[in-house]
Amino acid sequence: MGYLGEFEQLILFSVVKLGDDAYGGAIREAIEQRTGRVVSSGAINTTLGRLADRKLVTCRLGEPTSGRAGRPRKYYAITPAGARALKASVSTIRAMAGGLTAKLNRLAEDEG
Amino acid sequence: MSGRRPAILLRAIARLLIRGPESPYVLSDLGDAFDRDIEAGLPHSRAQRRYAANALASAASVLAARLRGVSLRFSWLDVRLGVRMLLKYPGLTLVATFALAIGIPVGLAPMHAVDALQSNLPEDPDGRIRMLRYWNVGLLAPAPTSFDDAERWRASLSSFEAIGASRMGSYNVEVAGTEIPAPGAEVTASTFDMLAVPPVWGRVLLAEDERSSGPDVVVIGESLARSLGTAAVDLVDTTVRIGGVPHQVVGVMPEGFQFPWNQQLWLPMRERPAAVPREGRPVTVFGRLADRVSPDRAQAELSAVHAALAGEWPDIYRHLNPEVVHSSFMAFGFPKGGLRALPEFAMIQGLTLVPLLIACVNVGLLIFARTATRTSEFAVRTALGASRGRILTQVFTESLVLALLATGLGLFLLNWLPARILASFRFIPMPYWLTPELSSATLLRALGLACASAGIAGVIPVLRTTSRSVLQVLQRASSQRSGTRFGLTSSVMIVTDVAVAVAAVGFAIGIGHRVATTFANERADGIQADRYLSVTLTMAGGESAPGGAPDPSAFQARFGAAQTALVERLRSEPGVRAVAIGTALPRMDHQTRVVEIEGEDLPPEPANDGGGHTVRTALVGPGFFEVLRAPVLAGRAFDGRDLTGAAPTVIVNTMFVENVFGGHSAIGRRLRYRAGNDSSRGPWHEIVGVVGHLGMHSLTPDQDDGVYHPLVPGSVPRILLAIEADGEPTALAPRVREIAREVDPRVVIASPTTLDRVFEGDWYIMTAVVGGVAMLVGVLLALAASGLYAIMSFTIAERTREIGIRIALGADRRSIAMQVARRAIIQIAIGVAIGLPLAASVFFEMQEGSGLAPSAWLAVALALAQGIGIMLLVALAACLVPTRRALRISPVEALRGDG
Repeated sequence: MGYLGEFEQLILFSVVKLGDDAYGGAIREAIEQRTGRVVSSGAINTTLGRLADRKLVTCRLGEPTSGRAGRPRKYYAITPAGARALKASVSTIRAMAGGLTAKLNRLAEDEG
Repeated sequence: MSGRRPAILLRAIARLLIRGPESPYVLSDLGDAFDRDIEAGLPHSRAQRRYAANALASAASVLAARLRGVSLRFSWLDVRLGVRMLLKYPGLTLVATFALAIGIPVGLAPMHAVDALQSNLPEDPDGRIRMLRYWNVGLLAPAPTSFDDAERWRASLSSFEAIGASRMGSYNVEVAGTEIPAPGAEVTASTFDMLAVPPVWGRVLLAEDERSSGPDVVVIGESLARSLGTAAVDLVDTTVRIGGVPHQVVGVMPEGFQFPWNQQLWLPMRERPAAVPREGRPVTVFGRLADRVSPDRAQAELSAVHAALAGEWPDIYRHLNPEVVHSSFMAFGFPKGGLRALPEFAMIQGLTLVPLLIACVNVGLLIFARTATRTSEFAVRTALGASRGRILTQVFTESLVLALLATGLGLFLLNWLPARILASFRFIPMPYWLTPELSSATLLRALGLACASAGIAGVIPVLRTTSRSVLQVLQRASSQRSGTRFGLTSSVMIVTDVAVAVAAVGFAIGIGHRVATTFANERADGIQADRYLSVTLTMAGGESAPGGAPDPSAFQARFGAAQTALVERLRSEPGVRAVAIGTALPRMDHQTRVVEIEGEDLPPEPANDGGGHTVRTALVGPGFFEVLRAPVLAGRAFDGRDLTGAAPTVIVNTMFVENVFGGHSAIGRRLRYRAGNDSSRGPWHEIVGVVGHLGMHSLTPDQDDGVYHPLVPGSVPRILLAIEADGEPTALAPRVREIAREVDPRVVIASPTTLDRVFEGDWYIMTAVVGGVAMLVGVLLALAASGLYAIMSFTIAERTREIGIRIALGADRRSIAMQVARRAIIQIAIGVAIGLPLAASVFFEMQEGSGLAPSAWLAVALALAQGIGIMLLVALAACLVPTRRALRISPVEALRGDG
């Protein structure tokens, strides 16, 4: 199944959230809005390409848009394998983070 | 949709940078993000900046993704293949090597120049010896340091283990009847402690030598002994006459030791601090940093010492900051950070890298064309198991072999050319520590540039050609087509090449015209320069009061008397027609200053705010204009009245009258100098005469507003003599020297040359610039032509079948040829359309103020058109060969290719 990097997780979460409307620009906006992180369109598209190669997402071409010199959008959807990989990643994080939130908060305050 | 879009240039750059199969979607998302920013209420400019940042980051991500998984593996076989490719494509090798061999040294030149100009002293490879100086924050220039500054620093600074003061000068040295002028220096004994260079014979100067009651001693260099025609060892403990005074030679320094500039003899500095700080003749101060003391710490200590002193003497130290700087700053007066810190340096470095980048992309285009023809080879190899990284390594190595060949040639040029240029300037003494040889840093940078060039020229094309699937490529290969297309990049490159080449033609014509104008003006200024001998006149050493303190007025009186006597003696000498003296002679570079005219409404100081009139100035002796056959056109010449200084007077030139007074009478009007601070603002000077133009700068002999002052004998430490001779002027030089020695043995006559050769150095620079520009134009033309040729050849090869069939069906050959060449012609036309206004503006910018007559414009326009015509011819010739080849294809042959 393979390991998912943090950025890949963010993208897969965005794809799940956006549903039928998951294309590069919308995913970028979703990540920016939810995490405050500014990511480049190139990074989103190349990561999506990699996820597609690993069969974790599928893609379809949309209708050509009027404003983009007729360039179509690529819409992505998560595959069952992708959903399993994301679920496993979330479980791993949860398993590791379990019961540590309070301690983390305390440590972070000490640092500050 | 907002209806507003990012600037077309930004979109074009984004399209250029983001390449690959994902690029349409990335570009689409970039546009979406921009729209959202605009809809969110962001100002257009901010949204554009965000678009640019997103595009750059995207380009990096896309490139990184394409390189991911590519494992590079070096093999000597690749090197052998690279060498074979050089031989297999000699045309490409020649053009690419030529382009990179020009681009790489041009790109390296600024840093190399900085390395050479900021070299450490050979005695101090670690750079522990530093110069201590004052910086005038008002004038943004170095200010002189005095002997008492050096003494104070020596007594109070613990950051330096030794501090020495030196003062350079020229001296007449006489041994057994042979006399030569030699550069020397008065130095404190501590200077030798600081440098720690042992003498080859005898001893260095000691503290007791600085006592004014002690015997006169000198330390000489081996090179001086050789110039005197004797062995250095024979001079030890003998007596030589320096400025007519016997000095005992106590030591001989090794040949390579010429501290601080090109000195060949060293006298003890016998001076006492003046009563008031900063009085007396200037000295240069150096110190060796103590162990484990950084220059910053030394600077902090120096600033602290200075703060106390500035509090005591606020008027004297106003605007002055003491600085600890690199030793080489004695020569060039750089600001503290050195050349690299100047904003102009970054600009020049950027500009010099542009030709290399253009060369790289052009060479990349050629390699792309070559690589495209090998697509099927790569596909077969990939099918047989070669990784993309393997192919990438091979092509990179091939490009690297080419780039290294060009780099070797470029480094040879970079090593050879500065040495030749410096040799041409042999009449200008260069500092002994200046090292134009290639440093290891330059070699490393060259290697870096070679790798970068190979990367741009080799890796990017192969990334593009190997991005398709093996099956796709094999299918295309079987139909004898690579499937590769030249996109926007190649079009942009060809257009840029043509535009830059046309602009460069304008620049070349501009330079050529400027040189021709300058030559013509020189001949027209009426001075028969080859009939005058020019010599410089200085006097070694200084005069001291009985207590040892410097006595400038005594020095001025002695030097003034010597000048007057020398001029009188020369005037009565047979073979001498006339003698003129001044601080600068016609066509030499005169000092630039800013003046204001009485009654003018000008903004307040400082002068560098753009107010006032920039003029060139010189001090001239009586009869100066008469001797140079430049009669006074209005008013009067200088005479005895002007030398008293009671009512300062000046003579201006016709250019000044024209530009400042609009041609109205200037006699009786008054002017004064403006400077960076009030204390240096001068008194009013009355204009008493007007003379014609004599040339006050070698490159602009006809365009400087000139102001001449009367020269009071002895008032300046260095003057020039123009001696009009009956015969060959240089033949007078030995006699002039002889008379000077008889007048005062301390008077030094140096740099004898005819007046028409004094600015020879500028001509070498001009010639080098003209040659460089011609070479640049040649490279650009060759690149544009070869790029066009490559693309045309490739495009036609791809269309072989189509052309064959069309000819078989009876299509008109001319229309096919036009269709084939259309793209190239459009590219050339766009290039010329962009380049022409650039060329015209560059040309006219260069002629600014040169008095270019409107009648000459037509000739210039014709010349420019001629240049562009040549460019067009070259470019069209590049299209002709492949087009002709395409039209000769027989239908059978064309159809055979369709497998």
